[in-house]
Formats: sequence, structure tokens, C-alpha cells
Amino acid sequence: MKKMQLEICCGTTCYMMGANRLLYIENEVPPELRGKFEVKALPCMGLCNDKNLSGAPYVKLNGIIIENATIEKICDKMRAMLDD
Amino acid sequence: MYSQLFVEMESFQFTKTGQAACGDDIQIKVLKDENRYLAVLSDGLGSGVKAHVLANMTTTMALRYLQSNMDTLQSVETIMDSLPVCEVRKISYSTFSMIDLRLGGITRIVEMGNPQYIQLRGTEEVQPLKHETIVSKHWPDRQVECYELKMIPGDRLIVSSDGVTQSGLGEGPQYRFGWRRSGEMEYARARISSNPEISSFSLARSIAYQAYGISKNTCKDDISCMVIYMRKPRVMRLLTGPPFHKDHDIDFAKCANLGEEHTIVCGGTTANILERVIDRKVEIDISKLRRDDKLPPAGRLPGVAMVTEGILTLTRVCKALEDSEPTDSLPETARKIIEMMKQHDKIEFVVGTKVNEAHQDPSLPQDLELRRGIIRRISSALNQKFRKETEITFF
Ligand code: FES
Repeated sequence: MKKMQLEICCGTTCYMMGANRLLYIENEVPPELRGKFEVKALPCMGLCNDKNLSGAPYVKLNGIIIENATIEKICDKMRAMLDD
Repeated sequence: MYSQLFVEMESFQFTKTGQAACGDDIQIKVLKDENRYLAVLSDGLGSGVKAHVLANMTTTMALRYLQSNMDTLQSVETIMDSLPVCEVRKISYSTFSMIDLRLGGITRIVEMGNPQYIQLRGTEEVQPLKHETIVSKHWPDRQVECYELKMIPGDRLIVSSDGVTQSGLGEGPQYRFGWRRSGEMEYARARISSNPEISSFSLARSIAYQAYGISKNTCKDDISCMVIYMRKPRVMRLLTGPPFHKDHDIDFAKCANLGEEHTIVCGGTTANILERVIDRKVEIDISKLRRDDKLPPAGRLPGVAMVTEGILTLTRVCKALEDSEPTDSLPETARKIIEMMKQHDKIEFVVGTKVNEAHQDPSLPQDLELRRGIIRRISSALNQKFRKETEITFF
């Protein structure tokens, strides 16, 4: 199965709001998610200035934006994606 | 020809093993308006704090006399008269070399008790135009060597304390008289022949390390080496921040044209502009992340040395420069930026002035200073603390 693509924004705002911790997500996910995704870091994705979004840090999972991202939130989305 | 030149003056020192302070002192002063580059290296008699104070008194006085064009004999005598005299040896408490380099003119070197300077053109030694030994009436047992020489682009001057030339003294038959000036010169020539563009700092460090190694990695005396290299300036460019008007993006991006080793991009939006122009994507390597790095990781983009995050990284660079922090303990990106700055003579900042609204959000955990202010502070720290030339262009 194709691995899920997780893009983590490392721009100023996202980094300050917690993206630095997200970068280590591979070590922190539960066993069932290990090896199921690939992590890529990106410079500012330009989302931090979008007033319609609710807040940094931003990540994209298979292109879908996750706002106020935390490791738990990302894991939930991954599980949902695997279930589909 | 000479107005385009840069005079790189750097030094490296080892302190005598077991001493808290280096007994040699080096001071440098650039008189830009007069096209003059002054340097003094002094070796205080003995070692440790006392020697350091004596050496420092000497360099301070000598630099002042050089600057005011005081007569050579008079300045040397004034220095020797002011320093205390060793009760046992009846000699004044320091030796020194004074260098007055004039771009396009005659360079004068005055030495009192220090090893003779070395002038190299490529790997060839250059003899002085004139050499005269003068003896002071006050100090008949001390000789003052005065040299006049011509420095042309590409030339190097190497000035060392006797801790370099006498290193290894007594370490087997090869070093019966120490490394000597001839050994030091041979070594410098070999280094230059394998790396003709070697920087003053690298050469001075390399000579000092060699002297240290010859002494079996202990310093029996303070080791100081200064290298003065006259050459074309090395220019680097740092691009940061998107331009105020979007229409200027292309002109802004064109400034990243100095070559891969001389260009840094700091800021995600800045990187995005370049990505669009060259139609390539920034790649960030997270395989070597260190948890204690505290700054976002660096990215790669063809044509530039490195892409980093903007304001947090620049703020860290600014603080490190202002506080003269050792680079080893800095986060990777800040360390690389500062090292690159140190390897260049002129740093050009190309600064976009558009303010990122997201950075003004009061709920951010840290206040962010405006880019313009940070760059001005970095620029003045580079001018004042590192004698770098800087230029800021706003977009
Ligand atoms: S910093 Fe992450 S979207 Fe701008």
C-alpha cells in the first residue's frame, strides 16, 4: 500500500506554535501507524496568513490541511484515512 | 587596482600550557580613509597574566604611535622606557612587531626582538626593498629592525611570536634550534601550494597548530601567528523577506546570482519566490535533526548554499554575533550562517520589507522583531566586531 504523505510546515509561525515537536512524530506514533507514512518538512506553506483557518501549526496529510496540528490529531486523521 | 582590494588580517593563538592568559597580544586597526592597515603583535616577557598585561600595554601604545605617524625610533624608545625592566636580565619586558601596510604604497615593519616577518608572493619569499638596523641610545643592547616592502595583490605577510619559531626546541636532532623561521616558511609554502586561496585565518590556525604539534601538543611558550593577505574581496549575499510590492519579486530573486557558495536565503516566503523563479522545490533534510537545535532545519535549493527559516534564525544569529558566542554551541543553521559570514569580507543583505501579518499576532509565544531591525543589528555587529564590510538593499 502507498504510504501516506505527511507534510509539516517549518515556517516561523508553525515552528513557534509547535511544529518543532511534530518533526519527531515518527518516534511517537502508536505501533499500528509505524511505517505507514512518510514525513516531509516544508518552508512556510503560506497558510499562516489565511484568516479562514483556525491556527498554526499546519500540516498536510495526503494534501489535506490539518489546523492546530498535534501528534494526537494527526494520528486520528491517519487512522481515519486507513479505515477508508 | 587597489581600491577593489581587501586586506584580510587574522590570527590564531595558543596559550602556554597551564597559564590562564596568553602572554602574547595582537591588535589590529584599519584606517579606511587613509588606506592604512595597522597591526601590532607583542610578546610579553614570561607568561601568564603578567606577560599578557605587558604585551597588551605594548600593543596599545604601539598602535597609537603608528596611527599618529610618530618617528620609529622615538616610538620604540618610548615603549621600552615605559615598560618595567627585568631585574635579572636587564631587558625591557616585551618584544614586538609593528606593521603599517598602505594600499598602493610602502609597507613598513618595525621589529624589536620578535622573529622576522615572512612575505610570500604565492609560494615565493619576497625580500624587502630596504632593511636597516637601528640601535637606540637608551637601549644599546637592543636592536630595532626596520623594513620597507611592497605588497602587491595576492601577497601575504606572516608575523609570529617566538613560540612558533622556537616550537619543538630540543625535541630531537631535527629541532635542535626549534622549528625556526625557515621551518615555518616551508610549512606555509606547502599549505599555500596545496590551497592557493587559503584564508588568513586558516593559514594562521594551521601554522599555530603545526607549532603546537611539533611541541608534542603542549605549549612551552605562548604561540601566536598573524597572517595578512591582500586579495580581491569575497562577497556573499543573504536574501530575506518578500519585497513590499509583489511586482518586484523577480528583481529580488535575481539577486540570488552570486553562486552557490556565496548565497543564503533566510525565510520561507523568500524561498517560495525563488522556487517559482527557478521552478524547483526546497528540500528539507530532517534525518539529522537534533532535539536541542531550537531552530527550524535547513533546506536545499539549487544555486544557493542553504535555505533557512527567517526571523527566528536571524534573531539567533544576531544575538550570537553581538555577544561573540562561540559557534560550536549554536543551532546548526545559525552556526552555518555565521561561519559563512566569517569566510567572506563583504556581506550584502537583500531585504524585502513586507511585514508578515501572522508574525504580529499577540498570541505567539515570543515577540518577533521586524526583519529590517534585525538585519541592521547584524550588519553593525559584523562591521564593528568582525571588521566586515556590509551593504543593505531594501526591496
Ligand atoms: S509558517 Fe506555517 S504556514 Fe506559514
